[in-house]
Amino acid sequence: MSIASDVIRGHTDAIILAQLIQGDSYGYKINRAIQEKTEGQYELKEATLYTAFRRLEQMGCITSYWGDENTGARRRYYSITQAGLEMYDRMLAEWEQSQALLQKLITP
Amino acid sequence: MEYKIRAYMDQLFETAPRTQRAYEMKIELTQNLIDKYYALVGEGKEPEDAYNLTVMSLGDVRELFVQLEDDEEGNPVPQPVYYPQEQPNQKRAMIRVLAVMLYILSVTPVILMEQLGLDGIGVVGMFAMIAAATGLLVYDRITHPKTDQPVPGTVVEDFRQWQGKKARKKHWVAAFNGAFWPLVLAFYFLISFATGKWYITWVVFLIAPAVDVIVNTLLKAMMDQQK
Repeated sequence: MSIASDVIRGHTDAIILAQLIQGDSYGYKINRAIQEKTEGQYELKEATLYTAFRRLEQMGCITSYWGDENTGARRRYYSITQAGLEMYDRMLAEWEQSQALLQKLITP
Repeated sequence: MEYKIRAYMDQLFETAPRTQRAYEMKIELTQNLIDKYYALVGEGKEPEDAYNLTVMSLGDVRELFVQLEDDEEGNPVPQPVYYPQEQPNQKRAMIRVLAVMLYILSVTPVILMEQLGLDGIGVVGMFAMIAAATGLLVYDRITHPKTDQPVPGTVVEDFRQWQGKKARKKHWVAAFNGAFWPLVLAFYFLISFATGKWYITWVVFLIAPAVDVIVNTLLKAMMDQQK
């Protein structure tokens, strides 16, 4: 599991972008979606998630805005930019390439 | 338990850089943890267990803090997106000045026309000017809903903008309320001068409050439907 975690960690940005492609979202909701998608097998640490948010924001891949819920809780929503979409496509292509390579290398 | 989470975050962020960014990050993270805590409780976890799981899921915040410090050292993070704010402008001031001038000058047609022996036209002129002035003020109010000029990027200003958005929905009501009584007064004089029946026209002031309440109620109902 820890090896799997390490491998996945390298793709945190792509994972988050993949979530945001489906629509604007906020931290907890994204993590929740990841958890559901993996049937509880994987979940990002908040620190990792928010570090990735800042990094992606700095790179211009995502933008954020404060939502206007009428109930007390105010959430910061993230939304993917054009640059983010391009970055995601690149990451996906890279991943498919390395996946194929690894598959070849790892099988006897 | 929510309080305990907040207290935990307060303690955790003691060592964070003292910046707006860090403060916003703390608010964001705290809300996230509270959501998570309630989800866990909802799944049937004991409050104490849920709290521990929540806090544990946070992970290593040092990487976050390091990044926050980087932000301060010349790697600015783009600010959240804002809708552009209109500045108060000269045109707006002109509209208001014009409206006030029209109010003040509205009596001149009456005086002038009286000397020429044309009473009726003078009164009509007065009401035309009052109507124009009121129209200008209402226009000004509708096109410029009351908003402050926030410094973007802070939680406080975000909150005020959010409130402003709510207030904007009400500006039709405000515009109506602003125009209503001057119009009632104008109407009173108009029908009084026109009919000469001063002994009865005052009932306008009894009917007006009723109309005021009805229109306000209708406007409010319409706003609620729009939501």
